[in-house]
Amino acid sequence: MSQEVYEVTIWARGVFQDMEGRHASLLMANAADLGGKFVQAWDDYADLPDRVGVPLRKYVRLSDEEIEMRFVYVNNNPNLVVIMDDTIVKGMNILRGMPKGGSLIVNTRRTPDEILAFIPNKELLANIVCVDASGIAADAAIDFMGSEGGVEVASVGAGISAPLVGAASKVCDMFDVKNVVKVAANKDGVQKGFDSAQVKAL
Amino acid sequence: MAKEVFYSGCAAAAYGAKDARVEVISSYPIRPYTGIMMELSKLVANGELDAEFVHGEGEHAQVSIAYGASAAGARAYTGSSGVGVAYAMECYSPAAGGRLPCQMAIADRALDPPGDFGSEHTDVMGARDQGWIMGWAESPQEVYDNTIMYYRIGEDHRVQLPQFCCQDGYFVSHIPGRMKLEDQKAVDEFLPPYNPPHPLDPNRPVNHGPQIFPDQGSAINVQRAVAFDEIESVIEEVVKDYNKQFGRKYSPFVDEYMMDDAEIAFFLQGAHARTARFAVNHLRKQGVKVGVARLRFMRPFPTKAIQESLSKVKAVGTVETSTSYGGQSRGGNIIHETRSALYPLDKRPIVTSFMAGLGGEIVTLNEFYAMAKVLSDAVKTGKANDSYWMNFEKEVLDTHK
Repeated sequence: MSQEVYEVTIWARGVFQDMEGRHASLLMANAADLGGKFVQAWDDYADLPDRVGVPLRKYVRLSDEEIEMRFVYVNNNPNLVVIMDDTIVKGMNILRGMPKGGSLIVNTRRTPDEILAFIPNKELLANIVCVDASGIAADAAIDFMGSEGGVEVASVGAGISAPLVGAASKVCDMFDVKNVVKVAANKDGVQKGFDSAQVKAL
Repeated sequence: MAKEVFYSGCAAAAYGAKDARVEVISSYPIRPYTGIMMELSKLVANGELDAEFVHGEGEHAQVSIAYGASAAGARAYTGSSGVGVAYAMECYSPAAGGRLPCQMAIADRALDPPGDFGSEHTDVMGARDQGWIMGWAESPQEVYDNTIMYYRIGEDHRVQLPQFCCQDGYFVSHIPGRMKLEDQKAVDEFLPPYNPPHPLDPNRPVNHGPQIFPDQGSAINVQRAVAFDEIESVIEEVVKDYNKQFGRKYSPFVDEYMMDDAEIAFFLQGAHARTARFAVNHLRKQGVKVGVARLRFMRPFPTKAIQESLSKVKAVGTVETSTSYGGQSRGGNIIHETRSALYPLDKRPIVTSFMAGLGGEIVTLNEFYAMAKVLSDAVKTGKANDSYWMNFEKEVLDTHK
């Protein structure tokens, strides 16, 4: 009786990327929502309140049906993993629980092969996408208002989340890049991320 | 203009308070309710809400400030979670006994030990007998709506009682959902300004909360009790008006799902009702006649509405998300009053208690399936235990196989 739900886990660095991480989850959810999907976007409850530089997770669930597993705290089987800071790939098993055939999006200046060297379980991946999101979009001013259930004050998708989600739409068919452009503040950034992404199929 | 938004339960509560035009807010941080105060402080700082924002030095001070402000004639708002709710315990009876209709937002959190931040209703259920109105929302939309409705219920001169406006921590408070913020003008029409009958006023001196002699106590207690005689009709009136004005479909007391032809029912309050309905959808496909009755008010405990709803079925499982250690059922709280409400009926269902979702653990579909099995067996055998601790009982574990 289990339901088909597409899961996304986003890894970001605490405090200075907390907002960008959440914005990436909101961009995907809002774009998929425009495309007619049922969506859920939320912060990991145990990672908050966040500490400076400590890895933290943001999640998205996308489905063609109303999502039944809304209250499950974490995405146990992410189909898509987004890494907002490439040093995170070295530290931990970022693909844990991923079903075979998943995708990995990394904010990096390195090539897919250079990143893959740090990923011992890369056989789970169908593809890897590298994009220099930090080079395309400047870091947006940090705003803490949206954390812990607050309402976002900063415009969603002004910083590195825009090119990252643009790049993700290249391999993920749950949301369309046109809809990401519609919902993001930095529309140019989404398009540049989509255009400059290096995709390597595995 | 009404506005569609994607808000967490915390933000929904804050905007409910804003649209209710609260005048005094007292805060002290604790997860998960903190987001409510974060949001309100922002609205006050930006000049979007004209309210006095006071930092209490703890939850005890917070509630004291809120009922003090209410005594002076202000619409007052405060809130807390978990151990914070427990710390303010001393202040609940004075607020209710003083008939001061301030509102306290609760985003549930388990009590220690150990330092658990998951949702469990035990925190505020501990204060359920102090004379406060108390009920749970299951979605950010309902949080917003209840915040506004509770003020009108509590401030009604037939009632005059403070309110615990509760939501599950994390499940409701931290997961954003689509919801509608109503037009301020329409909310103003629904909720008139607070008009206290006897405010503290130097020009018209009155005495609030004096020391009394023991033989004067029962006269004051009986007045607080009498307020609960009238309250059910006030709630019915307010919910009906709200539904009419804003196009909602709330039942005043018990929100039913597939109860009309049900043989067994899950009876619960708060967020897990959502999962219960999905479980019912799946179980119905297998021919299990099961329904969900969701309790919208714990105080007043709506005896008549519960009798009407639960007398339709043969077995009821109260899905508890709070503890009653050593209590009659050795399970949770809801079962005791549910059984008591059904006792006078000639034909009453078997009632058992399912301990689930404690410490903020999720209640899974599988757990609801196991509960349904226990209830179906109870219908066949005519027997059930007083309580089942889900995932810890041999007989419940067996039904998983």
